[in-house]
Amino acid sequence: MMTEPAATSPAATEPPAPSGGPHAPAARPRTLPLPGPSGVAALLTVLTLVGVGVWSVIDLRINVATLLSSADNASDFLSRTLPLDFPTPAELAGPLGVTLAVVIAATLLSVVLSIPLAVWAAGNTTPGRPARTVARALIVIARAVPDVVLAILFFRLFGFGAVTGVLAMGLHSVGMVGKLYGDAVEQIDEGPRQALRAAGASRLQELTGGVLPQVLPAFVATAMHRLDINLRISVILGFVGVAGIGQDLAHALGRLDYQRGMALALIVLLLCVSIELLSVAVRRALLPDTEQRPTGVTGLVARLRPGTGARTGGRPAPVDPRTASAEALASGRVSPPWTPERVRRTFYVLVTTAVLVGSVAYSALDFNGFIDSNRGPLGVLAMFWPPESGGIGDRLLQGLVVTVQIAFAATLLGMLPALPVGVLAARNVAPSRRVGQVCRMFIVFVRSVPELILAIVFVVMIGLGPVAGTLALAIGVVGLLGKLVADSVEEVDPGPERALRATGASRIQVFFGATLPQALPAFVGHSMYQLDVNIRAATILGIVGAGGIGYELLNAARVLEFGVVTLITLMVFGVVMVVELVAVWLRGVVGGRAA
Amino acid sequence: MDTAPRPRPAVRFDNVTKRFGDTVALDGVSVTANTGEVLVLLGLSGSGKSTLLRHVDGLQMPTSGGVEVLGVDVPGARGRELRALRRRIGFVFQQFHLVGSLTVLENVCTGALGRMRGPRLGLPTYPRAVREEALAQLDRVGLADRAFQRADTLSGGQQQRVAIARAMLQHPEVLLADEPVASLDPESAHQVMELIREVAAEENLTVLCSLHQVDLALSWGDRIVGLRTGRVVMDSPVSELGRDEAMAVYARVGSAAPLTTA
Repeated sequence: MMTEPAATSPAATEPPAPSGGPHAPAARPRTLPLPGPSGVAALLTVLTLVGVGVWSVIDLRINVATLLSSADNASDFLSRTLPLDFPTPAELAGPLGVTLAVVIAATLLSVVLSIPLAVWAAGNTTPGRPARTVARALIVIARAVPDVVLAILFFRLFGFGAVTGVLAMGLHSVGMVGKLYGDAVEQIDEGPRQALRAAGASRLQELTGGVLPQVLPAFVATAMHRLDINLRISVILGFVGVAGIGQDLAHALGRLDYQRGMALALIVLLLCVSIELLSVAVRRALLPDTEQRPTGVTGLVARLRPGTGARTGGRPAPVDPRTASAEALASGRVSPPWTPERVRRTFYVLVTTAVLVGSVAYSALDFNGFIDSNRGPLGVLAMFWPPESGGIGDRLLQGLVVTVQIAFAATLLGMLPALPVGVLAARNVAPSRRVGQVCRMFIVFVRSVPELILAIVFVVMIGLGPVAGTLALAIGVVGLLGKLVADSVEEVDPGPERALRATGASRIQVFFGATLPQALPAFVGHSMYQLDVNIRAATILGIVGAGGIGYELLNAARVLEFGVVTLITLMVFGVVMVVELVAVWLRGVVGGRAA
Repeated sequence: MDTAPRPRPAVRFDNVTKRFGDTVALDGVSVTANTGEVLVLLGLSGSGKSTLLRHVDGLQMPTSGGVEVLGVDVPGARGRELRALRRRIGFVFQQFHLVGSLTVLENVCTGALGRMRGPRLGLPTYPRAVREEALAQLDRVGLADRAFQRADTLSGGQQQRVAIARAMLQHPEVLLADEPVASLDPESAHQVMELIREVAAEENLTVLCSLHQVDLALSWGDRIVGLRTGRVVMDSPVSELGRDEAMAVYARVGSAAPLTTA
């Protein structure tokens, strides 16, 4: 009783905390920074880009009504495509073999060309500044000229054979493979190379002994990635005339045989998935050392036999090291023992070699010599110059606008699901392991579906035009941008996240307070990269009737207006360049690393 | 102690100066190492020890002055001649510089590249004779039983011993060691220095070794050369240096910088 007023009085004298604060000065200090001019410009740019995206969505009439009517078409689509008409294995074997041979030989060609280019282009191995400039220019040009345009060019020289496909895809691939190989060479540890030089090794010996072993895992991984991409591209090349399963698909769609067409599309899809799985298996088999501990059956065997499984560094302790060394010397063994591991590895290397040799041999057999022999290679090149509008300049401009609209609309629409899915797929943000795994698997699944196949399905379902292309690319965004976003969220410095969690912040507060601010520059960079990818892809998708300038490209090639082909290539390249410049500037302002 | 120093110098620096832009890395250095001598370079980081070593086998060339190694005028040597000289000079680095993804034996085999033509890809591409000798060199450093492990599965001390085996496969006449034990624990450091001393004695090698630690320098060197900001500030046989004297000299090397700037 006596204590009660004493206990309540301190609480009563406490200041009403949340409302005023103890010292509220007359002139309030600035608690928000003044926006800088470049910040405002960046914000305006982002808003403009989003605005262009919104305008594109509206102008292309991608809305609920369109989607509803296409849902109507879906049942119609099913009645037109079912039952699927699969080719017999015998019918399939030929085109499938051609496609695989061309794709593998093209990837091999790009690797063979990229290795010397990468050595020249990398700052640490280049023989000199002029060589470096030349190599880098060649890599940029290879990326700038689309494979379809290269194919159109090589048809005039080599005809509709496998050689055209190999050269078109192989040369264009150098743009990516050469770039990534050069990056890998620049990232090596210089030490071993220096040691070899100090031991009197020649320049070539330095490269093979000190550089190549370090970059080999990256080289193989890049080659397998490119193989996957080239398989998808080979279908497009089928539409412009390269033999293989893509051409069969194009022919089936051309004669409105959707039952056969969709069956072939499904086969291509399965092929893409199996190449993806194969790529994982090959990487494991060729480079077991990049993986951690062996697991499964081989891991069990290695653990049961600690003597032979010495690769993991397990120390067979009690033996005197000098004695062990002397015994090893006495054994006279100067080649590694044939462990099951090494047998398996050698087997895979031999199989890979056989596949490579077979693919090259097949493609070479298909070479019938120069077609336009009276003109010669230079004469054929001259047909592509100067660029001209062919009297349809306004149609080309219209097509270009539609292509850019498709790219913008697809990027914007795709980002809506891609950003949340990508963020939730990141291990450090996912509310539970299960959610993270589901999101990641969803991304992987979407990635394995070629955009071209989606475009074909949508063209059949919705009809020719930009809506089909936009939807196909938008789904593709979930696969690519979703993965890039997930990776960049996982790469943020975990320190600030821990600090916020330590203050008692909730999961969502941690995400918005620590994770997102760190990952935001990467988001901007990746989105701009996605836009760049989509402009190039939208051009190509036009070839299968998904709207835009690609259709004009195909027509120009058909009627042999090669000057128009060149003009279209330059127009698209110009737009890509503009987007690239904006992207570089924007990344600089937002302070992100290069995507 | 046992043999009288021979008159023929294996390495001779004559008033060597090396500039990188405005920085003077070596400033009028004159040093001579006689055949079979173990010469220790002492000095702080940035005093020019590494630069001096890299001038011996022409990884860097002097701005002015003469470098003569094994009778070869190094700044005058180019291409094939320089490679031939480097083959006669082994080099051991602080960071070992092995290719981690290759087997230990293949790393040792690369020491023979200087006397082979053309590139090599993979252990089987080295002649059997080279592989056998590489295994013998590995046994010399006590690691023949590790021949087929990846190099990066070894400890730091073991990796440095592999690097020494690689250098020995060159059949060098001069051995350069740039802070060979700076990344190692004391026990491994002791083993590696003992190994260098051992192979140097067996092959009558001329050794130039840079070190941080005065103690190691006194126990393993025949002669100590002190460097400070690219200048030789001390050059005397270990036998003529008392322990305290050497410590004092090293301390002076360290503490003198503020005195000169004051």
